[in-house]
Amino acid sequence: MLDIRRISNSRWWHKKKNWILFAFFLFLVFVRISKGSFYKDFYYLISKPFWPGQFQKEILLKSIDQESLIKLNLLKKDNMRLREILYLQESSNNDKVSAAVISRKTGSWWRQIIINKGSKDGLELGSPVIGPGGLLGRITDTSLFTSSVTLLTSPESKVGVWVDRIQTNGLLVGTGSNQPILILYSKTADIEVGDFVSSSPASTLLPPNIPIGIVQSVDETFKTKKTAKILLLAKPQVIDWVQIIN
Amino acid sequence: MKKFFMKNLSIIALICIPIIFLWHPNWIGFLGFQPYWPLFWLLPFSMINGSINGLIFGFFLGLILDSVTLDRSFTQIPGLILCGALFGKIKINNSILVGHFRYGLICSFGSFLCGTLYFLQILFKSLSDNIVMLFIPSIQNILAEVFLTGLFAPLICSQLLKLFKFSRGKSAIKNYLKN
Repeated sequence: MLDIRRISNSRWWHKKKNWILFAFFLFLVFVRISKGSFYKDFYYLISKPFWPGQFQKEILLKSIDQESLIKLNLLKKDNMRLREILYLQESSNNDKVSAAVISRKTGSWWRQIIINKGSKDGLELGSPVIGPGGLLGRITDTSLFTSSVTLLTSPESKVGVWVDRIQTNGLLVGTGSNQPILILYSKTADIEVGDFVSSSPASTLLPPNIPIGIVQSVDETFKTKKTAKILLLAKPQVIDWVQIIN
Repeated sequence: MKKFFMKNLSIIALICIPIIFLWHPNWIGFLGFQPYWPLFWLLPFSMINGSINGLIFGFFLGLILDSVTLDRSFTQIPGLILCGALFGKIKINNSILVGHFRYGLICSFGSFLCGTLYFLQILFKSLSDNIVMLFIPSIQNILAEVFLTGLFAPLICSQLLKLFKFSRGKSAIKNYLKN
């Protein structure tokens, strides 16, 4: 009797170790069936703090920035050299003076703003004035503490502009309304509604590539030229602060 | 000081016009347009002081306003001189209602005159290139200004006329008493 009892105690399922081994086997089967998804997700969670991507991304972006900066500087130098050769205005954006608008006449015939910086602050006649959106006009008068800016909408304003899509120069003329008129002295110019207009790279008065406006409508009634109404990007009637490019 | 202010009220008001002209209060205007402010002063002044004074002060006013606006090719002087001379010929009407409406109509006419003269200058200057393009915005400008000037004139002109008459009366009484 005693012998029989000893034999039954030694069966494999009576051993805890075997059950653990079986559980582990089942777990491996589950991992195999789920194609390791549980395992991968778990790994995802525990390895997250040690991912190399974040750091590498920063390094990568920094190096791209540096590369762009170097390229930009090279292009700037190149541009300045070429503009010097062509006797054109320089496109330096470094010397910007901020000023507040203290008087605003944006309706009727007189379209001008007066800003709170004058000759005392080194502002000069003819300096372009930009606001949020793009070009507003040019300084046409300075006193010690103030400067008057003739807006692009003034009947006295005439500025050379560039239509980027068709690579054509034109003349932007103020008419005393909120939309100045672009004149293209070519009947074949393929100007369309929505075309972007910026200051002309060939202009001797303004730095190149300052955003000005978008073509709102095209008029083809003239025999020798095309005209278009321009919707200005900078709104002088609501702008309180401007920047002057010296 | 008070005496000085009372005596020279019209001149002090004249000095204030370029300030209002520059201030360009948007809450008074409509869609960015404003009444033609100088006429509000010129009408009562000329009505009290006559055509010659109106003409001279119209010229002065034009000079001041030309100096605060940037348009070097165009001037407001001809319009204001004409208005000053015309306004001087108008007699003061005792009827309050008729007087009020008259101010509106006269100022509207004055604004139309000044606007048209200004437009003609622009037209003359850009005769060679873009006359057609200037027409519609210019007519809009003139009409908007005429409407707003006519609208505000009865309110402002009548008050200014009262003030100027009062100021003139005071100084006249004092001069009489002195003599």
